[in-house]
Amino acid sequence: MASHDLRDVLNLPSDHSAGPRPSKKQKTGTPRPNLKGLAREVQNLGGDNPIAIVPEVSIFKKRRIASRKPVTKWELKAFTNSARADDGALVLRHWKRKSEAETPSESVEDRGSQQPDGMAVDGERDTDKVDDSAFAKFNVRVAVPQYNEDQYHRNLQHNDWTKEETDYLLGLAEDYDLRWAIIWDRYDFTPKTAEIETDSNVSTAVFKPRSMEDLKARYYEVAAKMMAVQKAAQYMTGPEFELYETMQNFNPDQELRRKKFALETMSRSKDEAREEESLLLEIKRIMARTERFNEERRELYNRLDYPSTDSDINSFKSSAGLQTLLQNLMNVDKSKKRKSIIVPGAEAATPTTAVPGSAVSETAPPNNTNNSTSNRRESIAASVPGGGHRDSTAGTPATPVEPAAPNAANKKKGAAPPERRKLTEQEETIYGLMHHERLGSGPTFRYEKINKLYSHKSGQQQLRITNALAELDVPPRLAMPTAAVTAQFELLWAAVTSLVDLRKVCDKLDGEIKIEEAKKAERDKARGISGGDVKDKEQSGGKTKPGATSTSGEGRPGTKRPASSGGGDKLAAPRPSSSGTHKRSASVLSSTSDKSSKRQKK
Amino acid sequence: MSQQPLTTSVQPTETYGGDEVSALVLDPGYCSTRAGYAGEEMPRQVIPSFYGHIDGRDIFGDEVIVPRAGFEVRNYMNRDSVVEDWDAATKIWEHLLLKRLQPERPTPPNKNGLNIGDDGDVAMGDGDNNDENMVDNLEKPLAESPLLMTEAPWNSAKAREKAIEISMETWGCPAFWLSRTPVVASFAAGKATALVVDVGGANASVTAVHDGMVLKRSIQKSPIAGLWLSNQIRTMWEQNEPKVDLVPTFMVENKKPVEAGAPADARLRTFPFPIADSFRAFEEERLLTEFKESVVEVWRGPGRYMAPGNEDYARSQPGRVFEMPDGSNQMWREQRYKVSEGMWDETAAYASAGADEEGRVSKGQTILSLIKASLEGVDIDLRSNLIANIVVTGSTTLLNGFNDRLNMELAAMYPGLKIKVHAAGLTSERRFGAWIGGSILSSLGTFHQMWISKKEYDENGPGIVEKRCK
Ligand SMILES: Nc1ncnc2c1ncn2[C@@H]1O[C@H](COP(=O)(O)OP(=O)(O)OP(=O)(O)O)[C@@H](O)[C@H]1O
Ligand SMILES: [Mg+2]
Repeated sequence: MASHDLRDVLNLPSDHSAGPRPSKKQKTGTPRPNLKGLAREVQNLGGDNPIAIVPEVSIFKKRRIASRKPVTKWELKAFTNSARADDGALVLRHWKRKSEAETPSESVEDRGSQQPDGMAVDGERDTDKVDDSAFAKFNVRVAVPQYNEDQYHRNLQHNDWTKEETDYLLGLAEDYDLRWAIIWDRYDFTPKTAEIETDSNVSTAVFKPRSMEDLKARYYEVAAKMMAVQKAAQYMTGPEFELYETMQNFNPDQELRRKKFALETMSRSKDEAREEESLLLEIKRIMARTERFNEERRELYNRLDYPSTDSDINSFKSSAGLQTLLQNLMNVDKSKKRKSIIVPGAEAATPTTAVPGSAVSETAPPNNTNNSTSNRRESIAASVPGGGHRDSTAGTPATPVEPAAPNAANKKKGAAPPERRKLTEQEETIYGLMHHERLGSGPTFRYEKINKLYSHKSGQQQLRITNALAELDVPPRLAMPTAAVTAQFELLWAAVTSLVDLRKVCDKLDGEIKIEEAKKAERDKARGISGGDVKDKEQSGGKTKPGATSTSGEGRPGTKRPASSGGGDKLAAPRPSSSGTHKRSASVLSSTSDKSSKRQKK
Repeated sequence: MSQQPLTTSVQPTETYGGDEVSALVLDPGYCSTRAGYAGEEMPRQVIPSFYGHIDGRDIFGDEVIVPRAGFEVRNYMNRDSVVEDWDAATKIWEHLLLKRLQPERPTPPNKNGLNIGDDGDVAMGDGDNNDENMVDNLEKPLAESPLLMTEAPWNSAKAREKAIEISMETWGCPAFWLSRTPVVASFAAGKATALVVDVGGANASVTAVHDGMVLKRSIQKSPIAGLWLSNQIRTMWEQNEPKVDLVPTFMVENKKPVEAGAPADARLRTFPFPIADSFRAFEEERLLTEFKESVVEVWRGPGRYMAPGNEDYARSQPGRVFEMPDGSNQMWREQRYKVSEGMWDETAAYASAGADEEGRVSKGQTILSLIKASLEGVDIDLRSNLIANIVVTGSTTLLNGFNDRLNMELAAMYPGLKIKVHAAGLTSERRFGAWIGGSILSSLGTFHQMWISKKEYDENGPGIVEKRCK
């Protein structure tokens, strides 16, 4: 019995403060009645802490009558399966809940709206409205390459396979969804001609049986070729090309060898199996160990970091050179020391061990270093893919693809994983890989490159070029600057600039001719009666406002004649009219700038 | 709110991919023919494939095979489990599918005998041959039910075409499908890829099933099955000391208990007419099956039964007593192992004196050789997977110790591979494996696209079954 029970019985006040009592009573008041079948005494043993018994709720199953919904109705409903090939001719019937049955669970207005058409459907349900099977969507067919007679003769000829047999193979592949085990199992080709005379049991004997590899090889050949016919390799998407490649590279001999090997493993004895298993385990252990070892070694090499060795060593061959080298090393070493102080994780001993290590590797003839260490390193790099900076610098001279030019750009290239896959030309186009002599640092945008073209030109030239481009309906800033487009644009741009330049020269020549003609006319006039001179002057002065400024600078050293100024104006005067006749509109716009530039030239 | 009603979209059948269309499933075997409704777990009707022939009439079912005058017992199948007598096959299947399975159709009021008052209308002669005419009277007796049938994997193209012809034209099935027993047996075991070892009545077969299709080059069969074992028992009884007489139950009128090994003390029935051999053989077969069920066992190892020392060991083990219908009884010890050993070891088979050619087992006919040959007929890449998915089916595999022995032998033959033998625990699942698989298959929602519909049959003729049920 708990203490407070005693107190209750004896009507003693609680020894606790009055505060917690009532609250506790409230708490225990609720769960207690639930703990049925438990004597009060037992319950109270827990005292203030309620007994940790989860009360078992023994409620009877709710009576079914509780749900007062009407019995759900089921109906024998007809359905078809759209995955069938006989377009709905087969109508099967299964039991389905009547569709009205679900309306009660929906909202009232829903029901209201559904009722009428539900009734409308009722009448024709059995006859017209036939559902499609829910399982029709699971029907998936493989796509088998298609070809026509012509394509076959052009691409798929094979001296071991007739077209008839190829057709047969592809038919089987489609029928059996490319399950090769079944295709091979059912493969039983008899050419049409032979079929007529033989009665079923004498067939196949004449024909050499095809192995599964033969079938696969032929199929993949056909599939790959047709794929390439449909879409040239360089336009294939990544997965497509991958598929194309794997199909192209199918090697029946290798498959055969693999199968032979598999067969041998199947027929090995128990002891052999056990032995192999233990060997595998052993290998695993060894691999794990070498991995750890490599890891450690890599760490060690990282500590023994030395400056790049791909520089020219000739300078170090003299004693003076060695002196400078030593100096360099000291500097490097110093900086390293500083570094290691900055990095607290490094052990204190490393800088001291690093000095001789790096010195040795540096002073040794680099040829040796390369040969001896690169081998070792390569193995590390192989086991640790994408190894650190250290591995890659060592790997750089080892890969023959890279020219070992000691410049910054080269170093950057070398930072890529040393064992790079050599891409074929085709792949390069697919992946959009390009080779550049030299790349600036950081990313660049192609339109920036185009902007750069403009920036070399003067403002007027820019304007002229844009005008010319506008004439051609080419926007000055490309909407889609792909590599091909920019390349094309560059060509266009070059053409336009040369056009503008030529036009300028042409204009200049034009002008000079005019001047000369004017001079000639002047001379003629001077020789004859001088009459319309004044009128001419007035005309030009009134016509062109900028002419006033131009005349001030007109004082050409070449022509000392007073009439020369008039000649200059004369030159300007006919121009608008002439341009109006034989030049295009864009040039009209640029005529003012033309004039001013001409003035500058002069 | 506590009771959430199942919405229509969550019908349990759909979660299992099921979609029942009230199809019928028919699984004919050499010993018995089984029929029932798709979606159920057991066939509703199992009758012997043997039928009675009397006075030019065929009668079907277990209960009609009783001694009668001029009564013969026949089988509509040949020993390859391929239908031979199509007339009888049609009749026996109709008997199953129409008479036994179809719910009673209400008799038309003019024939149900209740309206005797207006006698004039009713032609009284109709009532007599009502049963026989039932099929003919109804235009299409199975017009509502798609039918799935099973067949032996080596079934001939002609037999297949005949089957679809009957179901489409005679019965008017809206849809039809023909499945090979190994395929459906592996479905019954829940596998689409398996090596199916079926040891039934007339044939033992091993077939590789890949993705729900039989691999034809893997099909291996031999007669080392139930009937062969029955003959082994016969020979064993003959050679026993004292010789055991095979007296079927129907011959015994009255028997008295006798000591073990003592001659029987029973009064045999005599019939005023000759008993046909075929009838007697059928009845003997019943007795032999009983003997197989209760006595025969497969030697589980170590090694083969014939290995030195094993026979003596078997002799020292507790035996089993079998009491013949005539009351004679005997303790069977080592013989009960030896009689089945021929399935595994051709040298251990009993050579019967009379039909020595039939009892002989050649090396290539043992179950292990079948498995080996079957695996050699499939691609190497599939083999290990098949060995890890062996499905055992057929009633003869119910012999005690069969699976243990199979496991043991396989482990010895393919030591490096993972071997898994799947054998249903329930005897009924092993006896009706093919039927159950057919039941599962034909109630799958995704299967309905496979059926050969009436329209397709009409357009293509019976040849379509070869094209579709591959
Ligand atoms: N419990 C049992 N133990 C051993 N054998 C049995 C047992 N029950 C039945 N058999 C035998 O199994 C055989 C029948 O097997 P099953 O029903 O699988 O054959 P089936 O499918 O009709 O014929 P088949 O497959 O050859 O066409 C009979 O020979 C019978 O004696
Ligand atoms: Mg069978």
